Amino acid sequence: MRRRFTVLMSVLMVVGLAVPSAFADIVIGHPATLSGSQAKAGEQAVGGVKAAIDWVNNTRGGVMVGGKKMMLDYKVYDCESKKESVTSLLERLVTTDKVNFLFAPYSSGLTLAGATVAEKYGVVYMDHGGASDNIFKQGFEYAVQTIGPGSKYHAGTLEMVKKIDPSAKKVALAYEDSEFARSVMDGAEIRAKELGFDVVFKRTYPAKVTDLTPLLSDLKASGAEIVIGGGHFQDGQLMNKQMADLDINPKLLSLIAAATLPAFGEALGELAEGVMGPSHWEYGVTFSAEGAKKLGKTWIGPSQDEYVALFKKAVEKDMLPDYHAAEASAAVLALVLAVEKADSLDNDAVRKALGDLTFMSFYGGWDVDDTGLQVGHSMVDVQWQGGKRMIIWPEAAQTGAPAYPKRKF
Amino acid sequence: MLLEQLSGNLLQGLVLGAVYGMATMGLSLIFGVLQVVNVGHGAFIMVGSFTALMMFQGMGIPPVFAIPVAMLIGMGLGMLFYYGAMKPLVSPSGSGIRKMSPKVLGMAGGGFVGMLILMWIGSGLFKLNVAIYIFVGIIFIYGFFLYIYGGRRQDKAPELATLLVTFSLGVILEEVVKQIFTSESRGYNWDIGKLDVGITVFPYPKLLAAFGSMMIAILLYLWFKKTRAGMAMRSVVEDDVGARVCGVDVDWQYALSFSLGIGLTVTSGVLLTMFIPVGINPYMGGPYTLKAFVIAVLGGLASPYAAFFGGVVFGLLENGSYTLFANIPGVEPFAMTRFFSFVMLLVILLIRPTGLLRAK
Repeated sequence: MRRRFTVLMSVLMVVGLAVPSAFADIVIGHPATLSGSQAKAGEQAVGGVKAAIDWVNNTRGGVMVGGKKMMLDYKVYDCESKKESVTSLLERLVTTDKVNFLFAPYSSGLTLAGATVAEKYGVVYMDHGGASDNIFKQGFEYAVQTIGPGSKYHAGTLEMVKKIDPSAKKVALAYEDSEFARSVMDGAEIRAKELGFDVVFKRTYPAKVTDLTPLLSDLKASGAEIVIGGGHFQDGQLMNKQMADLDINPKLLSLIAAATLPAFGEALGELAEGVMGPSHWEYGVTFSAEGAKKLGKTWIGPSQDEYVALFKKAVEKDMLPDYHAAEASAAVLALVLAVEKADSLDNDAVRKALGDLTFMSFYGGWDVDDTGLQVGHSMVDVQWQGGKRMIIWPEAAQTGAPAYPKRKF
Repeated sequence: MLLEQLSGNLLQGLVLGAVYGMATMGLSLIFGVLQVVNVGHGAFIMVGSFTALMMFQGMGIPPVFAIPVAMLIGMGLGMLFYYGAMKPLVSPSGSGIRKMSPKVLGMAGGGFVGMLILMWIGSGLFKLNVAIYIFVGIIFIYGFFLYIYGGRRQDKAPELATLLVTFSLGVILEEVVKQIFTSESRGYNWDIGKLDVGITVFPYPKLLAAFGSMMIAILLYLWFKKTRAGMAMRSVVEDDVGARVCGVDVDWQYALSFSLGIGLTVTSGVLLTMFIPVGINPYMGGPYTLKAFVIAVLGGLASPYAAFFGGVVFGLLENGSYTLFANIPGVEPFAMTRFFSFVMLLVILLIRPTGLLRAK
């Protein structure tokens, strides 16, 4: 009796495993950060991948390869936001599950850790959540970025100031001493100098800092008009709060990684008003098929509202997608176009096609350079206005006008 | 200009240092009386911060009034943890709730119930989930085992065991709070104006935090020096065997000082959130644990008011040295201040191995 039950269960399990893959022809493998420190971004990314696959299979009708419609399938594991798990899961996805293409986990550090495995097996490695420029300076051949590189975060912000207020000259950079923030701020410094700003203050603070008062007193003395800073959520909150405490009122305050999160406004209330942050994508941006046509670009994917509906279905709760999801979805769309362009599932052919590819989707532009670095996607700037995040820059994506200069604390 | 900045930073350092000092007094007290290093120190600070956050956001009560509440919750938690985990390790006369007197049960139960009430009120704001019921279940099962197996005479456990227990208490607290509030960084905005002193600006909550810290330090000092209960506790610090011979209830003094120490630590969490009302999350305690260790050694272990003094010195060093380093080209002053604080610690230990205020 017991044995029969076991046999029955194994048969059921084999059938259960076999059924989805019987119809699927292209499998994407993903060691996602579903738990651990990056769990929030990982949940979004997986929802984004699922939503995009849903759209490709059910709305678009699959992927055309060699005159045959193929379906996408998704194999996802939880890497617990740990480097060791990322590498072993990628090995498993390639050797045991025999997936066709790989997706990187969220965050620069984990993406970098996994890139070596993808390189070893020569499998296309879609980076959807690793912004550091450093990943693409290692000579990896199969890594392809969808998230915008860190060095470009404030290009738009500074151009906005240049346009609205040409008299503003003094820029201050105060940021966390971390890989990500450093690449962002070095990029900002270069851009600021190109645009003719004076960088009057550039100082770091250590991670997990609990009091920024001395640094901010110093910043206040520098007389900076434009303050760009941050690193993570917690120190961004701290910097905002303590700038208010010390009555430091620049014309513009932009904080990376903190100001774009809904919790920022909840924690700071009134003090968040007017604070800006660069974002890869925000709900409300106005990229559309018509706009792409005007620019002469290929358009693929759902419209923004269709996308939000697909995302909610994928995560099975009433949650809005943020940029972590949009990036992952755009990476799926890029892969689909590249496979069709290469007309093959061969990784080298697809990687080459990705290099030649340029398109637009609800996420905005997509184009990579020779190293795989994303160069076609521009950031949007959001600003807290009346307790809401408005997209204020670039003008083409605006949902509200920039409040400049920032109102006093 | 330089002088102005330096004096501004030193003023800020003084205010910060008072709060740092307060946040170390509990650690020092527990070490002084029980010879236990509370490695979970930061987690108790975190409990205080969440108490202030919940009372302000959930009920609109200003954080100042969270101070006595946090003290009660902290002392209750202290009693609970002392009899539930610490006692068999520090007291040679055995353990167990069968030996608990009604006043202990009252305090422990009161603190625990107080915490549950706060959680219940907080649940309107934040989702309570099933993990908390599991936690309460485990506590009851643990209490049952304690009742069956407790009360046996045991030898004093090695010091490493107390490190492990305080560490695990910290982890348990962090995870329970994380289950209720998630690991998101929270904050609140209690705006009651600012005081502009010319060279720098102080928001009133910061000044209140520093003032509150000083008041608590003075009260503790008076309690130690002027009351019989304080004298009893000091006698245990001097010589626990001698105190026992003289009729001091050493076991009760252990329990009381552990609970008082935890109470002070939880209260300091409220004061710290008055100083910095953002970044409140279950794992916020880590940096404060490290600082508290340094401050305790700096001031001289085994005396809570020495710890307070050490905190003030540490705050001044941290903020004052920033201005000096900021004027040396090519160095990152913020990274240097940490380096400098620890170098100063080494120097002070070299000159006065027992800390600034000489402990015996």
